[in-house]
Amino acid sequence: MALAQLNNVRIAGLTTCAPGRVVSNLDCAPEKLQERERLVRNIGIQTRRVCEEGIVFSDLALVAAEKLIAGLNWQKSDIEALIVVTQSPDYPIPATAIILQDKLGLSHATIAFDINLGCSGYAYGLFALGSMLSAHGIKRGIMLVGDKSSNPLSLDNGLLSLFGDAATATALEFDTTAAPMYFNMGSDGSGHRAIIIEAGGQRVPIQPHHLERLPGADGIARKGTDVILDGPSILNFSIREVPPSITALVESSPFKLEDIDYFVLHQANRMINETIRKKLGLAVEKVPMSLQDFGNTSSASIPVTITSQLKQALESGPKRLLLSGFGVGLSWASCIVEMDKAFLPELIEL
Amino acid sequence: MDTISEFIEKFNSAVDFQEQVDVTADTELASLPEWDSLAALGVIVMFDMEYQKTITGNHLKNCSTINDLYQLTQ
Repeated sequence: MALAQLNNVRIAGLTTCAPGRVVSNLDCAPEKLQERERLVRNIGIQTRRVCEEGIVFSDLALVAAEKLIAGLNWQKSDIEALIVVTQSPDYPIPATAIILQDKLGLSHATIAFDINLGCSGYAYGLFALGSMLSAHGIKRGIMLVGDKSSNPLSLDNGLLSLFGDAATATALEFDTTAAPMYFNMGSDGSGHRAIIIEAGGQRVPIQPHHLERLPGADGIARKGTDVILDGPSILNFSIREVPPSITALVESSPFKLEDIDYFVLHQANRMINETIRKKLGLAVEKVPMSLQDFGNTSSASIPVTITSQLKQALESGPKRLLLSGFGVGLSWASCIVEMDKAFLPELIEL
Repeated sequence: MDTISEFIEKFNSAVDFQEQVDVTADTELASLPEWDSLAALGVIVMFDMEYQKTITGNHLKNCSTINDLYQLTQ
């Protein structure tokens, strides 16, 4: 358990860009409808945003970044760091952050690199970028977070209805009056097979058969480049690790659970989040969800929830949020942050 | 400790089958048309919340009947 505190870092703004194309999980062949209704009821995902052909994560991220920079009235030359948290890079190499440094017209003096994390990525990204600012170094930085995980051609009926696409941009600035941020982070690589794409790296170089849909041990036909989810392992990990890590985070801070205005959990599965909510004894109103409208948007799910569910609440005054992301890796990261007068526009569609 | 019929009631609620099926201690899980990965997740949550027990995908694979599942609560 890695507990840490960051001082002097303020969230100046947050934008979310998602595809305009809305896909309903109930839009399917009539014989599949009953099965889908049960899936929607239990997993909680009714609609998802899916990229048009040819649009990738970094396209959404670019739009989110431009809107953020313009809304804050920041000079591009003042932005000293651009961190991209994604598992859907433009290319295996080089890092997407560097490509976006160029597309955004940021200076050559920009720190730019990618972080390869999914579900836990938002809080980890805040910690990484925030650490650069906190130590009186960088003054302004932007974090782009999200994935294009939708897989419209999948034959995995469960998987088909889970993932949505989104990119978010978060602006951090050095500010000595900012409320401290508190973090609790963890990793467990023994669970690396719980969420995995096997082919395409060094362990399993791509072979022609990886591009064909072949049945796996579970009978589901998928390509070697498709993600495999071990539902029971992910569920057990989430309900076992997340409640105590949130409790430990709160205990390490000056606050109590009641002092947190909203708990924004990674949006993967309503069953998981409801179980975590009940274990922590949290009121439903304090645990907003975006899952029903956007599906699982990977590392973007926390900021997507903030944009889509908390905009009004945040406009009415400063709020203390506990963010908690958990999943692929296995990896988890929670943080307590305050948002006060941050630039937070409506959802942008591409 | 729950009786088998109390357990079956919780099981039915957890798996949320669309088509109601009469479930007894001897019912074979494989014979239930909606005994799928979604039902498995529901049962895992049920074991955690109602019985404070962690059951894994492997536990479920090794259960043939409702009674086998019930035994895991003991």
